[in-house]
Amino acid sequence: MKDRVNIDQLALLYLLLIMGGKFLTLPSLLAGDVGHDSWLSVAFAFVWDGVCLCFLLWAIRINDRSRLDISGILDKSLTKPISKLIMCIFFVIFILRINILLSDCYKMFSVTFDVSTNWIVYILPVILLTFFAVYRGFNAIARTGQLLFGLILIAVVALLVSPLTETDFGELLPIGEAGWDKIMLASFTRSFWFSDYIFMYFVLDGIQIKKHVFSPILISFAIGAILSILLNAIFVALFGYLAPDFDMAMSKIGVFSAASTTNGRWDWLTLSVWLISVFIKVVVFAFCAYKCIEKIVGGNFVKFNWAAAATISVTLLLPMFVSTDTLLDTVIKWGVIPFTLVQYLLPLCMPLLTKTAQRKTEVQSEQS
Amino acid sequence: MKISFDKLQKLWSGQDDFRLRELTCGIPLHVVCLDTMCDDAKVSAFVLQPLAYMTVSNLKEVEKKLAVGTGVRRPPNLYSAIEDFTNGYTLLFDDKDDCISVDTRTVIGRSIAEPPTSMVMRGPREGFVEDLKVNITLLRKRLKTPNLKIINITVGKYTNTAVAVCYIDGIADTGVVNDAVQRLQSVKVDGVLDSSYLARYLDVQRTFLFRRVGCTEKPDIAVGKMLEGRLTVIVDGSPMVLTLPYLFVEDMQSPGDYYENSVMTALSRMLRFISVIASVLLPSLYVCLQVYNYQIIPLRFLITVLNASEAIPFSPLTEMAMVLIIFDILREANLRMPSAVGISLSLVGAIVLGDAAVQAGLLGAPAVMIGALSGIGLFTLPDNTLILSLLRLAVTFIGGVMGLFGVIISALIIVVYLASMQEYKTPFLAPFTPDIPRDRQDALMQRPVPSMKKRPKSIPNKNADRRD
Repeated sequence: MKDRVNIDQLALLYLLLIMGGKFLTLPSLLAGDVGHDSWLSVAFAFVWDGVCLCFLLWAIRINDRSRLDISGILDKSLTKPISKLIMCIFFVIFILRINILLSDCYKMFSVTFDVSTNWIVYILPVILLTFFAVYRGFNAIARTGQLLFGLILIAVVALLVSPLTETDFGELLPIGEAGWDKIMLASFTRSFWFSDYIFMYFVLDGIQIKKHVFSPILISFAIGAILSILLNAIFVALFGYLAPDFDMAMSKIGVFSAASTTNGRWDWLTLSVWLISVFIKVVVFAFCAYKCIEKIVGGNFVKFNWAAAATISVTLLLPMFVSTDTLLDTVIKWGVIPFTLVQYLLPLCMPLLTKTAQRKTEVQSEQS
Repeated sequence: MKISFDKLQKLWSGQDDFRLRELTCGIPLHVVCLDTMCDDAKVSAFVLQPLAYMTVSNLKEVEKKLAVGTGVRRPPNLYSAIEDFTNGYTLLFDDKDDCISVDTRTVIGRSIAEPPTSMVMRGPREGFVEDLKVNITLLRKRLKTPNLKIINITVGKYTNTAVAVCYIDGIADTGVVNDAVQRLQSVKVDGVLDSSYLARYLDVQRTFLFRRVGCTEKPDIAVGKMLEGRLTVIVDGSPMVLTLPYLFVEDMQSPGDYYENSVMTALSRMLRFISVIASVLLPSLYVCLQVYNYQIIPLRFLITVLNASEAIPFSPLTEMAMVLIIFDILREANLRMPSAVGISLSLVGAIVLGDAAVQAGLLGAPAVMIGALSGIGLFTLPDNTLILSLLRLAVTFIGGVMGLFGVIISALIIVVYLASMQEYKTPFLAPFTPDIPRDRQDALMQRPVPSMKKRPKSIPNKNADRRD
């Protein structure tokens, strides 16, 4: 099975995905929304994520008996048109998230690493990597994540620990100054950056479940949440009211590291290692977008489908025509409701939907 | 095709080494052999002398009475008879075109010696030779068990090369053995001159970058791998014995590892691993740090590098590419030169070319140093030196054009490629991914032999317990 993945690999990949996207522009955006309470918004978002994740894991456990894929579950429990509609929403989410990740990375490379190039030249290697990985199967992606996980985690921890001596956590006080309703609202409007567990929908039928389904993934989730909250807290504590102006959190935090001009910017090397997790996230989301197309057209791509790959590649040209800020504003204005439905409501319903689909499958097989 | 003496004689007509003796020992007999493939003494002792004192009524009686010959058999058809004949067997035909073959093969080949590619400080010094029979003997010497099974296959339309698939019954996975045997049986090729020909057919996924079938010249290593559940493929005419399934980590293991202290072995393996990673990435990092991200380099080091490369008329990428290509040219030339000339060539390359280029201001000393360091590091994985060298050149080029971004992307593509490879139920990057904790006992680290009580899980096997 090309797309089979064991629960440990899934857990490590999930942690990489949590670490991959939240350390780029999100901390400064949240700091713009709620000031030094941004870490509280992140914490609230993770609470929601945690609840939804538990329901999704429950569904995975139930699904172990029948090994249905996401469209199999949705087709049988919610009818085919609704299933396809949900797949379309997922497709849009993945494409937007890939675009925003890539444009953030593009900004980071041009600002931090002085590598300025045009968008097409920048995304061509990413497209090559992405579809090479999709062609090789999800198993290869999961194994890559497992292999590089240790290295990336060390890099992230090093980046967070190095400025600790310079951090004045007193800057975070008073807690809740922005107002709790505003903090909660920020965690809702910025929910687009969270709920990384949605990739699990697309490997539902390929997860090899062991005795403990929940613990490895929940441990990953806890570590990811702690690291993300910590990063946000360190970021706003270091930059104070200037935090909204520093849009590349991870690279800016490095300024306060032990490295200096004399010793060289070694933090940039660790930053580069961390960037691997961003590209892994892009690859995983591209895989999911590819799967979405497969489910929307109602086929089963036995061989690599070039048309689907081309469609995704074309959508990656979006930042050439629309700025990231406009894109984000549009997402928050128009997309937050449908996105929230599939990001947060669908996982809560997944155990029930899986059971319904299973029951229908059993009835069908009995009748036949 | 039906056995016929006339057909055989027709096929070999005009060949000087075709020998025919017409004898009469109760019935008329045609004794034929190939002079170049047979041992005259054996033909005389096992065939002619016994026949001289024999009176028989048919060939079946000859077969029973030729007691001095150890290998007497009856080929079922003309193809088998020709195969035996070309392998050095003497054929006996009666007038009814019945035939028996007697083993009179000559033993020509070098004696058993320490293989030049796998020298060890401690441990056995025997190496495989070109003779299949001798190679199987070397395995049998170490595996005195009826569980050592050998499946014989003939491959090659014109070469009729004998191939032996060896495995330990009760340890090796039957599925893997059957799969490999089927693959070998389905090989359609005019000739097999070395085991490396068959390695390509045994590579299920037809991978073009990394080697997917292991090879060894040492019988102790081959037996060690068979005890872990692998099978070996011995090809007549080749001292390289193939082993499969094959893992990437095997490249990091050296023949002497199991005879040394496990701590020292672990250190050596770590060193090999680091040197390989550094060899592939160091030139590209040097170029992209110098071109794009010089801030990463410590100031003093940066000043030294800038001073050394200030007057160089080429860009850092061109400079590094030149160093790497020159190093590859020297390596290729060195491989094809007689050993005495090779040493001179190395000296000329290293001292004269390198030093002269630096003195002339064409290449910077740091670039030469990094190129040389990277080149030497590649030799810690001698089997993959060439492909790693190509990858290094490619990553350097991408790093020079795209900076760290390019290095990250190309490194990720390589890792995805490696991680996706799986043959004979064995993931190529096991035990690192998928993570198999038990197999880490003999991966980069090595536990002492007494504490390795289980066979590797990544290699399919029937019996996991080494003590059972």
